[in-house]
Amino acid sequence: MIEGFAGFVAWLGASVVVLSDGRRGLALGAALSTLALAAIVLSDAGPVAAIAVGVGGLAAAARRLTVGVAGWGIMPPGSTPRFILCVAGGLLASWIALGVTSGHSSALRFAVITVAGLAGARVLSSDESSVLLTSVALLALAVAAASGLTEGEPAIWPYAVAAAIAAGVGWLPQSAPRAA
Amino acid sequence: MRPESAELLVLAAAALLFALVFAPAAAPRRTLLVQGGTGMVATAAIAVVPTFDLALLTIVGLGVMQAGIAGKRTLAVRLRAPVLAAAILALALVFLRVEGPDVLERFAAVGLVAGLAAAVGLFPYIHPFAPDEPVAASPIVWIAFVGPVLAAVVLSRAEGLLSVDAGQALAAMLIGLGVINMAWGSMGSWLTDDTAAAWRYSFLADWGLVLCGFGLTLSDGRRAALLMLFSIVVGRLPLYLVSREPRPERASSEGPINLVVAAVLAGSAPFVGFAARVLLLRGATQLFWPLALVLALGMLLWLPGSLRLGRSLGRPRGRLAFGVALAVAVNVAAGLYPLPLLAAAKL
Repeated sequence: MIEGFAGFVAWLGASVVVLSDGRRGLALGAALSTLALAAIVLSDAGPVAAIAVGVGGLAAAARRLTVGVAGWGIMPPGSTPRFILCVAGGLLASWIALGVTSGHSSALRFAVITVAGLAGARVLSSDESSVLLTSVALLALAVAAASGLTEGEPAIWPYAVAAAIAAGVGWLPQSAPRAA
Repeated sequence: MRPESAELLVLAAAALLFALVFAPAAAPRRTLLVQGGTGMVATAAIAVVPTFDLALLTIVGLGVMQAGIAGKRTLAVRLRAPVLAAAILALALVFLRVEGPDVLERFAAVGLVAGLAAAVGLFPYIHPFAPDEPVAASPIVWIAFVGPVLAAVVLSRAEGLLSVDAGQALAAMLIGLGVINMAWGSMGSWLTDDTAAAWRYSFLADWGLVLCGFGLTLSDGRRAALLMLFSIVVGRLPLYLVSREPRPERASSEGPINLVVAAVLAGSAPFVGFAARVLLLRGATQLFWPLALVLALGMLLWLPGSLRLGRSLGRPRGRLAFGVALAVAVNVAAGLYPLPLLAAAKL
């Protein structure tokens, strides 16, 4: 039950990242997805992995709260295609996770597919660095969470590396393009 | 780590050393060493890490680090391709790991090929290119430095994860994409206005042969792919670096050295590209002879572009002439006697 709710929150957070242009909206989406992924990872890979995911993602969200376009910027004019993407992506991911595939954690499958898919799509649809870097952080966490789909106990390394990427990506120097 | 990946890592290190010694005189060596060394470490990490997840995270990390280097393209443009590649490969990985119908594995195969193409910068995911951007910040890093190791890692890991049926689908897609990249790259190298862009397209054409080699699923195909990757890392990349040397006169030259360089780039005998092409044609003939015909016709397209690129080197002198001679000599040696290279990769 908790895992199912966490899967929904992961989709909601990724959707907020897709639908937001402002730093508050992006931070909220990143925080929601992070908490949901951490909750799912907790049952699959244990508390250390969950803490790593949580710390990395929340650090990314906190950094995003301070840097980027001011305001919430959720669903600005012209964002209907993005909204359709979120709904269609969620439906497709839930169909794949619940109807097509099987295994030990449908919530993990749903969360990974929806977060990786929406973060990847968001990277394609924006030129704003704060949006891109937030998507990168979420994608890293989703890739790490996917290691829970392997047989046996997943190692801690993917979670630790993903947390480092998520926490560090917000500090990337955003130099302006220049002539060589 | 597979011996193939280890060998490609050594070649990438050699290319980095070449860049440090023979890069344009104006380029700051310390910056080049730091950026190249970081790229080298990340490339090694892709090959060394024990799981595919960690390799994907390394790709993301490398993409982020490269996007942080000052260059002509925006952060968004530089970050987009590696992140997209990681997202596609992650979805492919999910499809490989979950239980479900067999068709999921075929989707995973599509994801593996698409993700590899996006990471390396092959058609249809060609990275935007700014001709006068520093090499460390340009897509050449992905197509000529990181890409060879990445391809070896992704495809060798795919071998162990895919079923026979999905493996055949993967091979077919690699061959199809390879032929398209051959045609697109060689035509682009010939017809584009900008010489630097022509160099970039020539890498694309070489990668077409690499993909075909990996797709042949015969030992000859794998050998051909390795030799083509050798040709990219130790032949085309060093010559591209030399071609970037600013010269007072930009007029092209048609001296003997330009013809020799053109022959290296076109994969003529006795250079390593020729050995790769012979192996590729032999493998294609064994598998399906009309494919060998298509490949042979496609290989002819290298000639006009290579002559153009050879001329673009002008008349290298001093240090640069030595660099060109070194690249040519290494390619001749590997072309005449490729067995040590293949044996080191256990092929």
